[in-house]
Amino acid sequence: MHHKVVVVGGNRIPFAKAGGPYAQASNHDMLTAALDGLVARTGLSGSRVGEVAGGAVLKHPNDFNLTREAVLSSALSPSTPACDLQQACATGLETTMYIANKIALGQLDSGIAAGADSASDAPIAVSDPLRRILLEASRARSAKQRIAAFAKIRPGHLAPLAPRVAEPRTGLSMGEHQALTTTRWGITREAQDELAAASHHRLAEAWDRGFFDDLVTPYLRVAKDALLRPDTSVERLAALKPAFGGPEGTMTAGNSTALSDGAAATLLATEEWAAEHHLTPWARIVDAEVAAVDHPAGEDLLLAPVGATGRLLARQGLTVADIDLFEIHEAFASTVLATLAAWQDEDYCRSLGLDGAIGTLDRARLNVTGSSLAVGHPFAATGARIVPTLAKLLHERGPGSRGLISVCAAGGQGVVAILEAV
Amino acid sequence: MPAADARAVETLDTLPAMGTAFARALVPARKGEARVPSHAVRVDGVRQDLDRLAAYTRVCGYTLRDAVPATWIHVLTFPLHVSLLGDRRSSVRLVGAVHASNAMTLHRPVASDERLALEVHAEALRPHARGAMLDLVGTARVDGETVWEGVSTYLVAGLRAPGEPVPVPREPFEPHAPQAVWRLAPDLGRRYRAVSHDPNPIHTNRAAAKAFGFARPIIHGMWTHARALAALEGRFGDAYSTHVSFVKPVLLPATIGFRATAVDAGLDAAVTTRDGVKPHLLMSVRSAS
Repeated sequence: MHHKVVVVGGNRIPFAKAGGPYAQASNHDMLTAALDGLVARTGLSGSRVGEVAGGAVLKHPNDFNLTREAVLSSALSPSTPACDLQQACATGLETTMYIANKIALGQLDSGIAAGADSASDAPIAVSDPLRRILLEASRARSAKQRIAAFAKIRPGHLAPLAPRVAEPRTGLSMGEHQALTTTRWGITREAQDELAAASHHRLAEAWDRGFFDDLVTPYLRVAKDALLRPDTSVERLAALKPAFGGPEGTMTAGNSTALSDGAAATLLATEEWAAEHHLTPWARIVDAEVAAVDHPAGEDLLLAPVGATGRLLARQGLTVADIDLFEIHEAFASTVLATLAAWQDEDYCRSLGLDGAIGTLDRARLNVTGSSLAVGHPFAATGARIVPTLAKLLHERGPGSRGLISVCAAGGQGVVAILEAV
Repeated sequence: MPAADARAVETLDTLPAMGTAFARALVPARKGEARVPSHAVRVDGVRQDLDRLAAYTRVCGYTLRDAVPATWIHVLTFPLHVSLLGDRRSSVRLVGAVHASNAMTLHRPVASDERLALEVHAEALRPHARGAMLDLVGTARVDGETVWEGVSTYLVAGLRAPGEPVPVPREPFEPHAPQAVWRLAPDLGRRYRAVSHDPNPIHTNRAAAKAFGFARPIIHGMWTHARALAALEGRFGDAYSTHVSFVKPVLLPATIGFRATAVDAGLDAAVTTRDGVKPHLLMSVRSAS
């Protein structure tokens, strides 16, 4: 990369369970709130930022320019351009890399990467047969043709379709896919519940020490992540019934992420721009890698980041030991645990074309301020939540500290990135 | 406002329901001398309903934020307008009074979770060539701090006020092609009624509209004002003043034009006919911080 790209700030609204306090808020509302909080905190009101990249996974057709519309409603200068990107649950990390790459190439000196998702305000579609009939009717040139088209409507066509988080090629929901992975890698219920409890306890501890004071702005009377259960415990989680994997399943509502609402944004810039705007660089973006697996042919849907991690570390000449902090997105507790198991598995890593096992991770360095199980997971927002969180954590540890972000995504994909404190 | 301190204040326990007061406000005014109550009406500790605010922002085109639009606070004071003019001491009726212009200042951002003390009084009853004009002056306070002020100027045809009418200067307007086109659905009056709680049937009922000389229901002027502010949100800071003249009502359904111009101190905007030739509403917004 030609120019050093630094993370100089971030802002999100507290995340909340779908159908909760943000039930009336749209992606536009939440994304605007996240941007305005960032603008207020960084003193950019009325300023033109190089570009804003954002996106949402559950998106209404009218929101094709969601991010640009949010910019126009925000306190940023209306001359700030914006675009929408979508990479499922990795959207917020992909927007980060899009902006970072442009800054590195000298095309931008500043930019905002963002993401928002509302599972409450999800688009409802009509059934495919009904959609085709309506389109046919709109093409009709006579009343007779129009009536003929409408005559094809059957009662069964009228049921509205809520979006399912299901893989088009397998018909399995993400949880059902992950249940297969959980069994394949022998991930126990106890290990999953321990990881989930730790996520809540670490997030609660981070809130208590004021870590999120300059990363989160309250919205609609919510001041703190609403899904957080500081008093949860392995014992309490153990009482929950399986949600995926049948009656013998180990995945529950407690160790799987809840459908969530929220938005997040992070400010990236060159060091010079940061200095001109009196902003402290937290960490630089070192490098990133995307990867995919062949889940229709039976590979683990959510383990694509493993291959990306191995290739990225190799390219940078780094090992797990060189990384101080890890942020592995907690789609499910068992996703994180299967990822760690895969990192240690010599044969599996070689099957991905890597030179050998990636290594063993000391869990004290993983998700140190909690992750998606406790915070929530508004799909597109998660990457833009993690980037400034990790950048600030690395900044606290001091220059040279390194961190790795691993986010799995639908479609058997994943994005991995490395940050280093400056 | 020192004048308001001298005024008798009638404090209500809650915002009055629109029913009775509005029923009285619906009775057409008798011809004769215009009279308005001299006291102010006030309600303390008004909570803002978040679901209603969300619905209001959707109908008007605002983004749902923690800081509420100035027009929303006007909507919250509206029951006090109705209560004041529904008073037996008032010969001015809200129905039939034409909202001629409106001015508001938002002194600082007002959060949706702040409790408001709302107060409205009538003043400046004055003659007009077609009748009488008066101002309904509202304030919103938080812990004694004035956060919002609004002046709604109404024209009441057929009533007399003492003195010689002072001509109201016509605001300058240059026809210009619109920069935006708004399509207003036939049910917009009903949708805005649901969030504004303004039950005036002139906005929803064809017969009622006809009784007041309009071929079809007209959209509330304060919706048009809100929609125009929403089109420009994010561009005038945390504190602002805005003034609108309601030049010509918009009959529903409608396709109308909008354009805005940046001026030294802020923004000027016009809601016009679709061809931009005639104005419906003229608006100015000035940063107040």
